Amino acid sequence: MKPLTLFEKIWNRHCVLTEEGESLLYIDRALVAEGASHAFVMLEERGDPVFRPDQVFAFADHYVPTTSRAKGVEGIVVPEIRNMVINLERRARKNGLPLFGLDDPRQGIQHIVPPEQGLTQPGLVIVGCDSHTSTHGAFGCFAFGVGASEMAHIMATQTIWQRKPRTLRIAVEGQLGFAVSAKDIILTVIGTIGAAGGTGHVIEYAGSAIRGMSMDARMTVCNMSIEAGAGAGMVACDDTTLAYLEGRPHAPRGAAWKRAVDSWKTMKSDAGVRFNSEVSINAAAIAPMVTWGTNPEHVLPITGKVPDPGAVADEKKRAEILASLDYMDLKPGTTLADIGVDHVFIGSCTNSRIEDLRAAAQVARLGRAKVPAWIVPGSQVVKRQGEDEGLDRIFEEAGFEWRNSGCSLCTAINGDLLQPGQRCASTSNRSYRGRQGPGVRTHLMSPAMAAAAAITGRLTDVRELLQRS
Amino acid sequence: MFVSKGKVWKFGDNISTDHIKPGFTRGTTIKEQAQYCMRAIRPEFAQQVKPGDVIVGGRNFGCGSSRPAAQNFMALGIGCAVAESFSRLFFRSSINLGFPLLYCSGVSGAFDEGDVLEADFESGVVRNLTSGKVLQAEPLLDVPMRILRAGGVVEILRKEYQKSGTHA
Repeated sequence: MKPLTLFEKIWNRHCVLTEEGESLLYIDRALVAEGASHAFVMLEERGDPVFRPDQVFAFADHYVPTTSRAKGVEGIVVPEIRNMVINLERRARKNGLPLFGLDDPRQGIQHIVPPEQGLTQPGLVIVGCDSHTSTHGAFGCFAFGVGASEMAHIMATQTIWQRKPRTLRIAVEGQLGFAVSAKDIILTVIGTIGAAGGTGHVIEYAGSAIRGMSMDARMTVCNMSIEAGAGAGMVACDDTTLAYLEGRPHAPRGAAWKRAVDSWKTMKSDAGVRFNSEVSINAAAIAPMVTWGTNPEHVLPITGKVPDPGAVADEKKRAEILASLDYMDLKPGTTLADIGVDHVFIGSCTNSRIEDLRAAAQVARLGRAKVPAWIVPGSQVVKRQGEDEGLDRIFEEAGFEWRNSGCSLCTAINGDLLQPGQRCASTSNRSYRGRQGPGVRTHLMSPAMAAAAAITGRLTDVRELLQRS
Repeated sequence: MFVSKGKVWKFGDNISTDHIKPGFTRGTTIKEQAQYCMRAIRPEFAQQVKPGDVIVGGRNFGCGSSRPAAQNFMALGIGCAVAESFSRLFFRSSINLGFPLLYCSGVSGAFDEGDVLEADFESGVVRNLTSGKVLQAEPLLDVPMRILRAGGVVEILRKEYQKSGTHA
């Protein structure tokens, strides 16, 4: 039999029909949040019900407050924001969708909650009305973001037209250095292949560094596949995947678990299979990374300096760097570790899982925050676990703010907003202009690096802080 | 024939959906949101662009979030986008909204701002009517063409599935 990639195995078993290069794919699970309102409106205008309501899951995450939840939805002051949450919950109830609403003890980000509840499983096709749906690929499933019109189609038919993407294997081999994390790997990948490097491809991450990673870390890597231009990222199912899933609320049990495991174990690329492209990255050479510009590919090791556009031969690239430095208010040649920050955000679907918070707490206990620093857990489950472990006290004693779960300052549409000109050390995924508010300057980094920036008030090599302690 | 012709507005690589439809405009009407289209990099764009004008983009056009960014282009009356490459999500989402686009290698170098572009989506032929240059883009396949002709994927639902009875 012809060897197949993990992606092809999943694609083939979900392909309903193919017409001239376009395939109609069956969707196992669809994720919607407040922003999917357009999709619901399109269905409502047609008078259509949701075709498979038990396969569409609704999450209040983008518009929820991360301050007090005591008053529930009525505690949201801005009517437009409140209505987004109310309307999502109303539509989910009306259509009989499983709902993770504002008051649910499992509430959280749509890319944090399904893995934690055991809904994200190997071999599935998962779509979300959100580009970071790629996160779920860490479980050996094919997961990608879709637009609202596509979601309307999916809710009406449980299928979507797609063109088969090409495959890219990124092998990260070797041992990661001290205090180097999954975020540093994916920022290195983006810096290596570029923000457009994965365009038209689905990425499979492989190699010993990936195999040695926890599920939390694999999710961070797959999450930012979209910032590398790819629609989806995946990691083969292995013992780490199975150990994570076993016993989760929605994971199969008993005989069903054994059957599932037999099937899930085949969710890996066959030996000798060829990918359309391959990239290899040496894990040992990766340092803690920070972005300096207005695109995640504008990234360097923290030991570096702001690039000099004058040294760039390509005219287009030079102009891009100049414009980027102008927006970021940075001078060429400035040591990255000399750049002061005004705010720190530790959260988002990229970095708000328990391991992220533990890594940040390990640094936070070394000092006191010099600038406002927010910890926004990815879900209420993560938040409670953090409190059980005493992380909330470590953060609060260090002057960090321990908040409620949601997307918060990653998308900055729930009312959490920074002021024009402010500079933020952020564990989120996008450093585009205005992403965290008009005129706000974003530097992306790992949770440990962001915590280090909080206690020094500037971009900082976390290795120095940890080694000194 | 499915053709778009208009004056070119040229953009570089990695234009994100945050540029096209900034996050902070959510919650307002699409017409209001469109007034902020590209403001972070081209403050004059939304005010000066004319119905029928077209976009020429670089690599990875439309990268970023899943928001229905093409709605802003449609609200401004923009005819189409032709780029070196697109983010997959943006490409599908735009086709499904009924906004035509083409992958066209070399398009950045073949057009200057203000040139007149003519794109034939079925044949993939892209002409610079100002300079006379002709490029071959990837033509749209049958399914995307059908979706565009129907005015978007939701429209095709009505026209095709309901008629054939496969819709539950």
